[in-house]
Amino acid sequence: MNETLQAFVSSSLRLATPLVLAATGEMVSEQAGVLNLSLEGMMLSAAFMGAFGAKVTGSPMGGLAFGLGAALLLALVQAWLSVRVRANQLVVGIGFNIFALGATTFLYRQIFGGLSREQIPSFSALEVPLLHRIPFLGPAVFSQAGLVYVAAALVAVTWWLVAKTPFGLAVRAVGENPRAADQAGLAVERIRFLAVLYAGGCAGLAGVFLSVASISTFTEGMTNGAGYLAVTAVILGGWHSVGVLGACLLFGAATSLQFVLPALGVPIPTAGLVMLPYVLALVAVSGVIRRSRPPAALTLPFRRGGH
Amino acid sequence: MSDIADVALGAAGLTRARRLPVERLLPLGALVGSLAVGLVLVRATGVPLRDALAAFWEGVGGSEFAMVGSLNRGVPLALVGLGYILAERANLTNVGGEGQICMGGIFSAAASLSWGAGKLPGPLAFLFPLLAGTAAGALWGALAGLLKARRGSNEVITTLLLTFIALQMVYGSVQSVHLLRQPMTDSATLPESLEIPSVTQLPVLTKDSGLPLHVGLVIELLVAGVVAVGLARSAIGLELRAVGLNETASRRAGLPVERLVIGALAASGALGGLAGAVMVQGDQHYLTAGFSSGFGFDGLVVGLLARGSAVGVVAFALLFGCLRSGGMSMEMSASVPSAIVVVCQGVMVVAMATAAAYSRRRPA
Repeated sequence: MNETLQAFVSSSLRLATPLVLAATGEMVSEQAGVLNLSLEGMMLSAAFMGAFGAKVTGSPMGGLAFGLGAALLLALVQAWLSVRVRANQLVVGIGFNIFALGATTFLYRQIFGGLSREQIPSFSALEVPLLHRIPFLGPAVFSQAGLVYVAAALVAVTWWLVAKTPFGLAVRAVGENPRAADQAGLAVERIRFLAVLYAGGCAGLAGVFLSVASISTFTEGMTNGAGYLAVTAVILGGWHSVGVLGACLLFGAATSLQFVLPALGVPIPTAGLVMLPYVLALVAVSGVIRRSRPPAALTLPFRRGGH
Repeated sequence: MSDIADVALGAAGLTRARRLPVERLLPLGALVGSLAVGLVLVRATGVPLRDALAAFWEGVGGSEFAMVGSLNRGVPLALVGLGYILAERANLTNVGGEGQICMGGIFSAAASLSWGAGKLPGPLAFLFPLLAGTAAGALWGALAGLLKARRGSNEVITTLLLTFIALQMVYGSVQSVHLLRQPMTDSATLPESLEIPSVTQLPVLTKDSGLPLHVGLVIELLVAGVVAVGLARSAIGLELRAVGLNETASRRAGLPVERLVIGALAASGALGGLAGAVMVQGDQHYLTAGFSSGFGFDGLVVGLLARGSAVGVVAFALLFGCLRSGGMSMEMSASVPSAIVVVCQGVMVVAMATAAAYSRRRPA
């Protein structure tokens, strides 16, 4: 029983990590007014390029660099189209996801060949000195891949960035009322650009975690909706760092329960558990319990002198 | 007053006539460009272009079998796309086609298998499940509409969330024998429904071919006609457009804005549900997890690319149906990964969105 619980905590954390990484970045971008449905595509591209980079350089750090680069490249194009060209953010995001699914599948078959499941050099578990010896919690929480701790740090840094710095204030200003922000002298476009790139970098870490840290290989379409789930977590978390973190942990736990409950012989339909995060998010945006309000200018492009 | 004049002019197609020709060339360029990307990728695989294209054509229209397959594949894409442009007219974005297909499929299968559609006389046997699927899709769309009208929830977010819920509902409904799963005879029984009775399957238009052309195509063209005429000529079409252009002005003018919003998303969802019913009753004949296989998302793309035109939806649905068929054939007989087709579609969506943004920038 104790061991099962330990496995549950450990796998919940592992499953929540890519969501925490991606959702934290996406939250900043959405606070600035840009919604990236392309999160899914950024993660998938990073997962593939991470695996490719780890293979060619022979090191997981090489994978990290390649994966980050791929996600940032997509984010750069997304930012340019969303912010400067003022194309429909949702359409571009969906287009990127289709493109990334096609491109990674194509390249995977060309480079790795078929369904090779080739193992790549990956990040091994990092035991935090002393802490990993805490009974029960130690092995479950403090013996994970390094990126898990990076995710925890990222949440703290992002909270500080958004709540305590002038940049954070600027981000929220351009997301709520870009016209007023512009008149106050803020560079709306530049701030939004940076916010999208922040989301891209975080999505890159999330993708690299999936292939280079979690399962040490790439599989076709391996994000399997995780990007959309991260966007969902931002909504459920009410566009607040702590709320988003809580939503991601909840989603991780719900996913993990699918594997744990059958092992314990609890007869629960797995479909219900997979559905749970989306039902909760739907309840959150419908304001039945507490209204979670998106940034006022979310998905609306800004144009000086326009209307 | 000027709002209403705008609406009337727009409905009569007068603003469109004043547009510059370059606005029409940009999307065309985007389309051709993205197909060119596909050709470059085919070259990169080292397969001779001639072989790949021959295989592609073989899959699209090389035989009666292939042609029928392309046409049948286009039907659900067109229905979802038509639903998309219907909601789009009221400035609503329904990205939940995939989920509406799922709901349509579940209820069409339930009506065919559990609610005695097979015992109904004549065409009612297949019409009742079609209707059940349509109603389920409408309900799924109306839910998003209700949340939008009453609680102000963004419909992009709600339709997307409802999609993920519906995908799991399909999965759940074929997992339990108390719902739609076929009776378990041994441990290897697949989590799928039984085959639906043949009278509930869509009637076939062509004879003697392995993959018959079903009445889905007729339904598609009928719906396209109704949507085209309804949007351009009916009072409701005008009202949807008014709500889409300026909600506050419409409310002041006495239009029932809430009802129009709910109705538009319900109608949009209904067509998604119909698409799901057509997929179950026309092509697959049983319900299985993941049966929607991305048709809803492709249909969404078809709707996006058509830019409000029902004729455009039918044309792009045919193009995408052909791309799917041709891609599969290329993979099977020329071993070119069909993922190239997916890359093409992605590039097409991004390029068309970019082209649309650039043409909006020019003064009308």
